[in-house]
Amino acid sequence: MRRNQGCHPHEHLLARRRLLASTAAGAVGLGVLGTQAQAKQLQRQEKRILQVFLQGGVSQLESWDPKPGTLHGGPFQAIPTSVPGIHISELLPNIAQRMHLLSIVRSINIKINDHEQGRQFMEKGRRVGQYPYVGAVASKYLTPADSELPGYVHVSSRGLRDTAGGAAFLGARHGQLKLEGIQPPGNLAVPEGLDPVADSNRDQLRLQFNQRFVERRSKALTEAYDASFHQATKLMGRKAMFEGEAAERDLDRYGRHDFGRYCLLARTLLENGAACVKVTHHGYDSHAENFNFHLEQLGEFDKPFCMLLDDLKARGMLESTLVVIYSEFGRTPKVNVRYGRDHWGSAWSIALGGCGIQPGAVIGKTNDTGTAVADREVDAGHLFHTYLQAVGVDSTADHDIPGRSIPIGDPSTEAIGELLA
Amino acid sequence: MYSSPLNSSALGKTCWFAVALVLIAVQSAEATRPLHERVDAAIGCGDPEFERLAAADAGDAAFIRRVYLDLAGTIPSSDQVRRFLAESAADKRAQLVDQLLESPRYARHMQYVFDTMLMERRPAKYVKADQWQAYLRQSFAENKPWDQFVTEMLTADGADETNRAAARFLLDRELKPDPVTRDLGRIFLGRDLQCAQCHDHPNVDDYLQRHYHGLAAFLNRSYLFTDPKTKQASIGEKAEGVVKFTSVFTSEAAETAPRMLDLPPVEDPPMADEPYKVKPEKKKVRSVPVYSRRLQLASAMTDPSNAAFRRNIVNRLWAMMMGRGIVEPVDMWHAGNPPSHPELLEMLADDFAAHHYDVKYLLRELARTKTYQRSSQYPPGAEIAPDDRFAVALQKPLSPEQLAWSMMQATSLTEATLQDLQAKHRKAHPDDDPQTVEDPVWQEAALHDALKGHVASFVDLFGVTGIQTSQFDASANQALFLRNGKVLQSWLTPQGARLTAKLKALDAPQLVDEFYMAVFSRPPGADEQQQISEFLARAPEGRDAALGQLVWAALSSAEFRFNH
Repeated sequence: MRRNQGCHPHEHLLARRRLLASTAAGAVGLGVLGTQAQAKQLQRQEKRILQVFLQGGVSQLESWDPKPGTLHGGPFQAIPTSVPGIHISELLPNIAQRMHLLSIVRSINIKINDHEQGRQFMEKGRRVGQYPYVGAVASKYLTPADSELPGYVHVSSRGLRDTAGGAAFLGARHGQLKLEGIQPPGNLAVPEGLDPVADSNRDQLRLQFNQRFVERRSKALTEAYDASFHQATKLMGRKAMFEGEAAERDLDRYGRHDFGRYCLLARTLLENGAACVKVTHHGYDSHAENFNFHLEQLGEFDKPFCMLLDDLKARGMLESTLVVIYSEFGRTPKVNVRYGRDHWGSAWSIALGGCGIQPGAVIGKTNDTGTAVADREVDAGHLFHTYLQAVGVDSTADHDIPGRSIPIGDPSTEAIGELLA
Repeated sequence: MYSSPLNSSALGKTCWFAVALVLIAVQSAEATRPLHERVDAAIGCGDPEFERLAAADAGDAAFIRRVYLDLAGTIPSSDQVRRFLAESAADKRAQLVDQLLESPRYARHMQYVFDTMLMERRPAKYVKADQWQAYLRQSFAENKPWDQFVTEMLTADGADETNRAAARFLLDRELKPDPVTRDLGRIFLGRDLQCAQCHDHPNVDDYLQRHYHGLAAFLNRSYLFTDPKTKQASIGEKAEGVVKFTSVFTSEAAETAPRMLDLPPVEDPPMADEPYKVKPEKKKVRSVPVYSRRLQLASAMTDPSNAAFRRNIVNRLWAMMMGRGIVEPVDMWHAGNPPSHPELLEMLADDFAAHHYDVKYLLRELARTKTYQRSSQYPPGAEIAPDDRFAVALQKPLSPEQLAWSMMQATSLTEATLQDLQAKHRKAHPDDDPQTVEDPVWQEAALHDALKGHVASFVDLFGVTGIQTSQFDASANQALFLRNGKVLQSWLTPQGARLTAKLKALDAPQLVDEFYMAVFSRPPGADEQQQISEFLARAPEGRDAALGQLVWAALSSAEFRFNH
């Protein structure tokens, strides 16, 4: 199921060498991971995804594909970045300095101008049908067996009542754990008045009931059920992680507003083994006052995102973390009478980087006025394949579902090969 | 076996004639044998290898829990279990099945099951959920034949109140060609034709583009019409329009008239001089053609020549009872995924059609089979038989609705609520017939209204929107809800007629006995008596406080979570 082509062959080599050395010394089984440093080293090879969703549809002209001085260019300038030749909007000065870590796809045409349909297509890589979101797929194929956290976590202030958490047929355990901002998940605390001893006794009794139930019965369902309680207990053990106040020095860097705190929480979740963390930044649906909106919104987005990117890099996690900044669509080149830009699925951009992605690249382009894709047109199906292949999941294979043959990515599209590292 | 060479002598002819007579006699005896016996024979009862793997009879206690869940959507109360165990009639299981099929809980349960199957937990859009659910419930209460039921759903245009609910299948899919075609194939024919939309199915040889587009052609002229004044949605149709398709792989183009899989196409009649009963007029009126392709859909679907229609529904009802389809997944029937028991499926389908698509008849017969009544424990010393042998009863995860109602039943919330509702009604309507509040239909409706909020919160957390699979799955969110959530915790408070309050007033062994009957619907074993007594005796917080923990552990156990 998983693609055997890793992001960083040297890491595998390193691990293998260490493994051989330890085995030679007589260690077997789990013993080879004796030291914490080694365990950490191995953990770092697990791959994960960070999605930053700019909800409402960020304007490509005010972000990744600026066209200053053209018919629809708007008032903002394009600035040079750390990659010679790549210019982005002046609204993203911090990202401009880190452009060498990211790449841009400027030629997306999803042919959809509806929020819900666009979002679904971007998440599922398919226009119709009940398919799992990319985060649920990551949860299924990237979550380590001993993970302390559910595989797919979504941090957002609203819009959390998403269809079954995007898991579709992959099942509830791969659906989003929905976090309302930095609020800990619901029901994390033991019921009031129940002391820890009584709580542990009742859980022991539950296990005794189960033990008796599986006598001469198939154990599969009971084990799956029990695993959810186990997962719940682990989450309860992480209560402090969810409730912990962010450090002052982190808040100074990320900012004290919601999105800054969400990015900090995302860092913690990724460090703790989540396979996919999605952070939603709301408020890009700028049908009126597009330019003021983007000035404000991107001003809030740029800095905390870059702090998170820096921290992932500093922790050596960026090579194993795919980072994607996306929306459900872009915005019309034509500015409307309210100085707004409307829904626009036919020529827009996303940015991505980290694990498996060739950094500093620009894929495709739009025409001079930004009204159509001029080269290398792709849609959400291509992006879906690209994300998964970047983290080593063979998106052309079938899902691991008994009795069904469901291709992971839409077989009529493929990954953007030149973007993969 | 009758193809042995026969010579042309008179003797030979006589022999052949005799054999034929016996054969006819055997066949007609076979036809008069009740379906449940024929099902067991087809599954393999009597075959020594099958019997070696097959589980013993489940016993009365396991049977009553199982059949309550399957036909009434909840576990029985401890009193119902006790009465059933004490009953001595030889046909008490058959009697119970009949009784449940006639209860209002049956119609409610089938409403849940078919709402989930037909609408896959989509939020209501153009038809109010209440109206649709009442329509489903009424249809099952009056045991509407399945072919008639489907005909109503596929012919209703939703233009007036009397048929709005029936139109929900099409209306809430907004007449969009892709979802409608796919779901018609999956839900009514057991075939997922989706990949055949743009090219012949890459993995499934039998699904062809013409199957998909043939089905789509029944509806390609229909559209969602919104009345400009009332804003009410209904189905309009145009008099022309063809379905053309091109393979994305081969670029071959083709055109198709409406057709049901490989059956002959339903050709349009010559266009009338005036093709419309109601002419289209921009978006102002709902157009109605003289010849409607959409109205051909239901008759083509339910026509006896379309065997897929009856096979699909018997396979789904079988899966509901037995925990797995004869074709599994139930919407993936193709040559690469054949039925485990093809003759059985054929027999069920034909018998169901011969009984005028009588849903209660089929469920009754299935509930009476040995296959249904086996234990979920495999025989000591035997290996576990593969699921598709149906040799051991399969464990079925409770649906969100079954789980909610069963937890409320086990904790006596149902009973306590009913008492309150009855008292309230008597007080509010002192002149009313005192028997009103004893009527099962009144009780079911009153309880449903009072407790539907709880059911909805279970559906929110445990339900899946979209394609329903039989795969069991459990998330940390769900476990946290059960473990620490306020709802379940509040049902464990010992007050009024609640189970924990009842248990508080009892001493072991009656306490343990009542606990097992109420939660697990069976008497405890001797070892269990002892185990529970010890748990209560050792509890640091004292016996009474530990009762809540006891009931919680049982409600959260696998034995409670599954129908087994």
